Amino acid sequence: MQRGNWNNPAPAHSPPLHHPVPQHVSTVPQLRSPPPPQPPSQPQSAYGYGQQQQQQQQQQQQHQGGPGPAGGAYGHHPAFGGFMNDPTAQMATQMGRTAVAAGQEYMEANFGRFVSVSALKHYFNVTNFYVVNKLYIVLFPWWHKPWSRQQRLSNNGQDGYYLPPREDINSPDMYIPMMALVTYILLSTLLAGLRGAFHPELLGGTTMTALLVLFLELLTIKAGTFLLAISSSSQLLDLVAYSGYKFVHIILATLISELLSHLHIGGAWASWLVFMYCFGANAFFLLRSLRYVLLPDQTGQGVGGQQAGYTVARSQRNRRTQFLFVYSYVVQFGFMLWLSRA
Amino acid sequence: MVLFGLGGLLYVAILFTNAIAILSEDRFLARIGWTASAEPGFGGARDDASVKARLVNLVSSVRTLMRIPLIVVNTFIIFYEIILG
Repeated sequence: MQRGNWNNPAPAHSPPLHHPVPQHVSTVPQLRSPPPPQPPSQPQSAYGYGQQQQQQQQQQQQHQGGPGPAGGAYGHHPAFGGFMNDPTAQMATQMGRTAVAAGQEYMEANFGRFVSVSALKHYFNVTNFYVVNKLYIVLFPWWHKPWSRQQRLSNNGQDGYYLPPREDINSPDMYIPMMALVTYILLSTLLAGLRGAFHPELLGGTTMTALLVLFLELLTIKAGTFLLAISSSSQLLDLVAYSGYKFVHIILATLISELLSHLHIGGAWASWLVFMYCFGANAFFLLRSLRYVLLPDQTGQGVGGQQAGYTVARSQRNRRTQFLFVYSYVVQFGFMLWLSRA
Repeated sequence: MVLFGLGGLLYVAILFTNAIAILSEDRFLARIGWTASAEPGFGGARDDASVKARLVNLVSSVRTLMRIPLIVVNTFIIFYEIILG
């Protein structure tokens, strides 16, 4: 009120609002909404300065440390209640907000280039019914009848695409393998802790081992596909999903063998029995599932019908079948043993 | 600790690729017949589908493509090992 009205027109005059500056330090920061834009705030902080100076002069015994007069723009450290009024704090908040927004944009733009999010969504499109039935098939694959994935022609009628896991029980998903992987890591670390052999690096080590196994399996399948000239149209994530289903078996085998050894039923042979059953289930499941990946012409229908006139020599087909068998049984045995022991 | 496993894996991969890259073309690979097919069949299909032909192709393409990146990567690793132990 001391200055003239040459800055603000009459109705926009900044009212004599004075935010009370508490003298004691409150432990809870009072977060306010962003203060009004710049011009009205200047007189406010100046008013706050003036008031604090007044109060300081009134109470001369208390050393306030001179926060008021000292360093106009940045030294304004009243109690927590008034810190949002500071224009520098506002600027810093705005910069922080812009930085976070820019970072998020950058992440989304670049992440979308590396991993196609829509393809990932297809693999997580599951229902409870699917999860329960898939777990049943994974653990007891002996009686499951049709193993082929269903496909549907897309809108332009040219290339068909596979049905999502929601509608096709044979479609591989990424939900079960991901959950099984995390459960396996936590379970093996938990059991190590119960044995008294826990240290925090065990978590990272188990993760790296599991991921290494996945990577090696992928490498084996890709090498086999390349060397045997198999032109299959299956996605990379399909193969990752198929490799990830073994964690379900490993979890089950580990749990049951731990339980049995805890109850002192049987001995080492009991856990071996459980392991052999789980290995057999996993091998059979992979055999049936990967048959459509590694032996694409036996189904009689290529995806999109492009391989109509493609015949394969008998020796090649034998070689591919051998590769499928070797992969499903021998390779999986080695990996499952490695993962169960670690 | 997590990084150590990854570093070991990287070393193994680099060592394998080095081993493939330094095989001698005429003294070794020709002797055991693992050179690339010199004359592509005129009008006929090359023997591309057999496992051995594809392996030979893979080896020769690794040698051609990875020579220069391997020089760079090996230099990095040498400096890393010398300076940082």
